Amino acid sequence: MTPKNNIIIGIIIALLVVASYNVDADPIKFVEGLPNLVIIVEEVFAVEPKYIPTALWAMFETIQMAFIGTAVGVAIALPLSMLAARNLNSKFVYAPIRALLAAVRTFPSILWALLFVIMVGSGTFAGVLAIIMYTVGFVAKLQYDAIETIDSDPMDAVGSIGVSKTQLIRYVVVPESASHLLSQILYMFDYNVRQTSILGLVGAGGIGFYIINFIKFFEYGKAAIFMLVVLITVLVIDWVSVKVRDKYIVKSQHGMEVTAK
Amino acid sequence: MKQIQMTKTSPFSLISTKKIIQINDVWTSYDSKNFALEGINMSIDRGTNYAIIGKSGSGKSTLLKLMNGMMVPSKGTIKIDYVTPDINDKKFKKMMHTIGYIPQNLGLVKNVTVLENILIGALPRLNKIQSLFKRFPENEIQEAKRILKLVGLFGKENRKVYMLSGGEKRRVAIARALMQKPTILLADEIVSELDHVTAREIMNLIADAQKKMNLTAIMIHHDMQLALEYANRVAVIKEGQKILEIGVEGDAIVDFQTGDMTTDQIMEMYANDSKK
Repeated sequence: MTPKNNIIIGIIIALLVVASYNVDADPIKFVEGLPNLVIIVEEVFAVEPKYIPTALWAMFETIQMAFIGTAVGVAIALPLSMLAARNLNSKFVYAPIRALLAAVRTFPSILWALLFVIMVGSGTFAGVLAIIMYTVGFVAKLQYDAIETIDSDPMDAVGSIGVSKTQLIRYVVVPESASHLLSQILYMFDYNVRQTSILGLVGAGGIGFYIINFIKFFEYGKAAIFMLVVLITVLVIDWVSVKVRDKYIVKSQHGMEVTAK
Repeated sequence: MKQIQMTKTSPFSLISTKKIIQINDVWTSYDSKNFALEGINMSIDRGTNYAIIGKSGSGKSTLLKLMNGMMVPSKGTIKIDYVTPDINDKKFKKMMHTIGYIPQNLGLVKNVTVLENILIGALPRLNKIQSLFKRFPENEIQEAKRILKLVGLFGKENRKVYMLSGGEKRRVAIARALMQKPTILLADEIVSELDHVTAREIMNLIADAQKKMNLTAIMIHHDMQLALEYANRVAVIKEGQKILEIGVEGDAIVDFQTGDMTTDQIMEMYANDSKK
């Protein structure tokens, strides 16, 4: 360990101490609070199975919200990502689009949900609109990054035929970035299902609406059923994502066959 | 000295003496300080197979990019069929439709099929709706299949490009260029990484296509022997300058640069240059 490394570690520890003091981090309070956690865990295990059908229905509603939000969000994000890519457009086109997308990404989905609850009233529609906005901001950003990293050789070779920009996008950009897009759609859908579970906090529907209300009334057993359904759903979506990735993404990116086990 | 096995007659024959490419005192640079090409002069007849050879970084690829309008010279003039290459010029943009360009890494779209890659060559002939919805007319699909057969890929039209071997990928790139119904083919070291047999198969393929289509081929090579076997003319580029231009006439190699070097002197000069 060099003296320079020691100084860096010392600085990091000092920053940790200062930051912990500023945020009132108190390890003693944490240890003292542990018995409360035991009470919650006991109540969580006292699950009430009669709420399972309601939880499944709420989850189904949440998945539908995430599905619409992801599909519509991606449909809006795609053309925006083409306009925001630096290798396809002039500065006058991509700069304002990038600024707009950065503004959209500034708000987390919960803030968008709050805004849409004010606009269209509480309920699932406000949640769907919030998911759409969040998806547009992130998928467009990830996709224009992917477009900019496309191999320039096919772009040059096809561009040198004298094709139009639309043809270049349709026949080179879209197929070359398709595997990235599929990967992003899967990630976004997974993320949106989890995100929709929280949007209920501000009255934007979904399974989160139930979870937050049960927690508010200290009914942890009922909340636990709903949380368990979220957990299982997320695990299933993750498993399906892995299978789809293996079949369509890994193979095309590395040029090999992948056999699902 | 390198041993050259000369063919009695080149597989290519001059079809017309009309100049299709004229390059006059062309200089070009990437960074305004160092020149990639310095005072290049070339005059290429229609139907010629013109080879450009030289070491890496000598400016060969830059020369091809100038010919298809992807780069503009800092000084000097270039005329392709009497038109200055400029991608913003309508007349040249139309001409680009019939200039086949195969870059060193082939420029294939790897996530689509062989047939789709070849059909890209027909895009300039499609209207907006057809190209947006990938509705290629039946005659274009039949033409693509005919070319597939010509390049020896029949039966592999539905394979994704990433599943092909190096030689097969080169055949796809050639097929895409032929699909353009080209008058000029620009190929950047497309046989350099191939074994002796496959390289000659690919070169024979281009030679056949050239005879059938009255094509002018400008091809970059690393190997002088291969260049002399197939080309009518060979230009040697060194550090951005054309140091040698030779022609193949029967068994003789003729110096077109100064006009006074013998075959032995030319080969000795090339062999000495290769050692450096």
